[in-house]
Amino acid sequence: MPIIVSEPVTERGRKDARRHREKQREAIIKKLPEIIADESIITQKKGRVIKIPIRNIDLPHFRPKTGNESEGIGQGDGQPGDVIGHKPAQGQPGEPGEEPGEDYIETEVEIEEIIELMLEDLGLPQLEEKEVKELIVELGYKIGGIVKSGPWPLLDRRATAQEGMRRFWIFLETLKAETGSDEFICFSALKQAGGLLEKAIEIIKQNQLTSKESTIIPFPVFEADDLRYREIQQDTENQSNAVIIAMMDVSGSMGYMKKYLARAMLFWLVAFLRKLYRNVEVRFIIHHSTAKLVGEEDFFRTGESGGTNCHTAYELASSLIDTEYPTNRWNVYVWHFSDGEDFDPERTIEELGKLIDKGVNMIGYGEVQPDADPDWFKNKRSGLWQKFKNYFTLKETQDNGLGIAEGDKDLPLLCVRLMEREHILPALKAFLRKDRWTQ
Amino acid sequence: MKKQGVERLIQIEKRIKEIAEESGLLTTEITFEITTAQRVLEGMSYGFPVNFSHWTFGRDYEKHRTIYEHTGAGIPYEQVWNFDKPKAFLVETNPFALNVLVIAHVYGHVDFFLANRYLKHGRSFSNVAEEARNASKRFKEYEARHGQQEVEKVIDAGMSIQWHQDPDPFFEEQDEETVRERLIAFERAKLERFEDVKSKFKKSETQQEIEQIEKRLERLSTKTPPEPTYDILNYLIKKSPKPLKPWMIDVLTVIRNQARSLAPNRKTKGLDEGWATYWHVRIMRRLFEEGVITPEEHGVFNDFHSGVTRENKAGFNWYRIYLSLFENIKERWDKGQFGREYEEEKNAFKHSRWDTAAGLGNQKIFQVRSFYSDRMAVEEFFTDEFIREQQLYIWAGLPTANGDIVYVIVEDNPDVIREILKNQFTYYGVPLIRVENGNYNSQNHLLLRHVWNGYELDPKYMNATLEKINHLWGKKVFLETRVDDKDLLAMFDSERKKK
Repeated sequence: MPIIVSEPVTERGRKDARRHREKQREAIIKKLPEIIADESIITQKKGRVIKIPIRNIDLPHFRPKTGNESEGIGQGDGQPGDVIGHKPAQGQPGEPGEEPGEDYIETEVEIEEIIELMLEDLGLPQLEEKEVKELIVELGYKIGGIVKSGPWPLLDRRATAQEGMRRFWIFLETLKAETGSDEFICFSALKQAGGLLEKAIEIIKQNQLTSKESTIIPFPVFEADDLRYREIQQDTENQSNAVIIAMMDVSGSMGYMKKYLARAMLFWLVAFLRKLYRNVEVRFIIHHSTAKLVGEEDFFRTGESGGTNCHTAYELASSLIDTEYPTNRWNVYVWHFSDGEDFDPERTIEELGKLIDKGVNMIGYGEVQPDADPDWFKNKRSGLWQKFKNYFTLKETQDNGLGIAEGDKDLPLLCVRLMEREHILPALKAFLRKDRWTQ
Repeated sequence: MKKQGVERLIQIEKRIKEIAEESGLLTTEITFEITTAQRVLEGMSYGFPVNFSHWTFGRDYEKHRTIYEHTGAGIPYEQVWNFDKPKAFLVETNPFALNVLVIAHVYGHVDFFLANRYLKHGRSFSNVAEEARNASKRFKEYEARHGQQEVEKVIDAGMSIQWHQDPDPFFEEQDEETVRERLIAFERAKLERFEDVKSKFKKSETQQEIEQIEKRLERLSTKTPPEPTYDILNYLIKKSPKPLKPWMIDVLTVIRNQARSLAPNRKTKGLDEGWATYWHVRIMRRLFEEGVITPEEHGVFNDFHSGVTRENKAGFNWYRIYLSLFENIKERWDKGQFGREYEEEKNAFKHSRWDTAAGLGNQKIFQVRSFYSDRMAVEEFFTDEFIREQQLYIWAGLPTANGDIVYVIVEDNPDVIREILKNQFTYYGVPLIRVENGNYNSQNHLLLRHVWNGYELDPKYMNATLEKINHLWGKKVFLETRVDDKDLLAMFDSERKKK
């Protein structure tokens, strides 16, 4: 029979389609440096959704390069010059990514998802939200539980009385069981014995009962074991607060790129810390020869001339920590953006040392030099960078062109040198390195 | 499908087969399997009824499924394989009339399979369907043993070059030693001609030539491949110094066999679809006239038929254009509109009204289905008149000031359109690339050469493909090509990339 009804077979299309989607994810991760450096993301205030073109992954193969990708044969009425179709502009230019691709669809990806991907890429997928870095804050003392021993003034009369009543009923039952007498006799005996069980048993056994009660009026009976005292405990609270103190040198020219790099770093730092802490605050300090606290707008707008005293910013950060963000209640992150020029680096080091001693979680020093010679290792280091490096014996490394300097694990200082957009991702990676977060 | 429906379909299938045979179509026993839409969607994506797992298949499956589930368009209705015993799918949830249409359409395809010389050749390699079924089990074992990623890398690499086959579809494959002996014998024969001449009479040019031949002979004794080969995958399978493990060779061999058996379908896709469409129209009309299908069912058929053959403003609808081509050829040969006398008729009126009542149309279209590929058909039958009648044009997407893209007709000159189609159908977008040397730099590097045909290679794809080849070759891979009118030697080296 040529027509047969087939048996069901297992579906493999979905499984293989899943693998394709995995590859799309991999492609997004590869494009992360581009994606996270996208300006429209970091300038956008509300709505944490961004659009990323996601292409179908194409298997590489040799193929002719065509001058105009969008060209083809069609059929129908019309002459040269006639319009046959129209496609509205796309939000993001369709710049080809690492992976060749075709007929892509633009997909909305939430910033949350991007952060997940970045964490995954960094090998930090186990970093459960709001799990790390909870602080225990001491609030003083509080009455905790009830205990069986303690100083007399803390005797809890109510609790002790309750225990005494319990004891009374237990004794009454015991008496009944021991003597076989009814409860009125037992009650009368217990009353006559003043609450002492041994004596009451003796009274009943030897018939020494003086009077027989007709109603039972319970009274508390105490043994040493029945005394209850209040317990004093230290009052603590688990808090999950973090503050980023962002400091920027506004002495020189704050070019567009400098502002952009600082802004992008801060945007992602805040985004990450929001994943880790319940409450994240950001404070802004600008400095030239003196430092002042400003709002976000001014932070990115201000450009002033004058000398450069970085230590003034560090001093201001210190006092801000002392007054508003004590490190026993706050996780403190300090980020300083500068072009590396400093009139008095010795004092800056001194102030930075004070911050470390205060127990801040991390000090980031971002040297923003968009115009510098990209050949970083041959390039002369800035004064401040060199001073940090020597004083704290920092080791210099490079990741995708980003210069990094950091000390051993216990030193909460990270120096990065940002020269272009592509440096943002490696800088964040250096900041988020696994060993900093897994305790 | 209800049992009654199946019974009726079986009866109709018998009648379709009779009509097909009466019309002169070749037939054989075809297995029609009634199955789910999902299974057909898988069939469309995997190349064979059952095939090994790969993400490209999954990607295509998802695309087909999305179109099917969300737009209702793209009803999976036509899946037939060019096997010795052809197999086709019918979808249980499709309207009855659509399944009848599929059977009629499939009979057109099967005739094409049985008669067309390219498709006959496609069946000659091996029993690919059975091989694909078995491969799906073996590859699963390889995944379990060597890891999914490792197996995927080899499949990726193999598939990236699977369409690089000899440009002559009837090329007889010879092993390297046979080729070498043939070439050596050829050079020796040349040498012998000179040996008859006494050495003292030899001219110095002759002496030079002899030395050159001797040099060539010396090189030939060790050169690999002895002559350039276009079958890159075959060369890698046989000669890779990596070395390839037996399971890798198995994977690559399966991929190569599948591609070789499917390549003829790519060369004849238009004619094949046009032919099947041409016949389903006629068979369905007969079934309606005979009362085998109801007027309602014929109406349903008509809806589907006009959907499939709808003109596409921005695409080349094979079904429509090649159906029209067969109709056009039939009409022309019935009226004798061919040959020198007709071509040279200057009077436009006479030319268009030309009719010698030759009645050769049927004979001609059967001939075309037997011996032609899509490219040959374009060259011979895509006349100026046909291209104009079909209203074919070239469009381009032009960006506007606000970033929108406007699609505009840019060309309707038949000469240009014919050239573009010819180019498209010559290598099916696969540039000619051949293996020149498997011992390049005397270090087992692989040297490939892009045979220049006027089109540069897409650089991004080129580098990515070289990386895939490098995965199979294990050593440096070079490619001679041209960029901006200059020769370029591209190279991929996995060692260097690691640093």
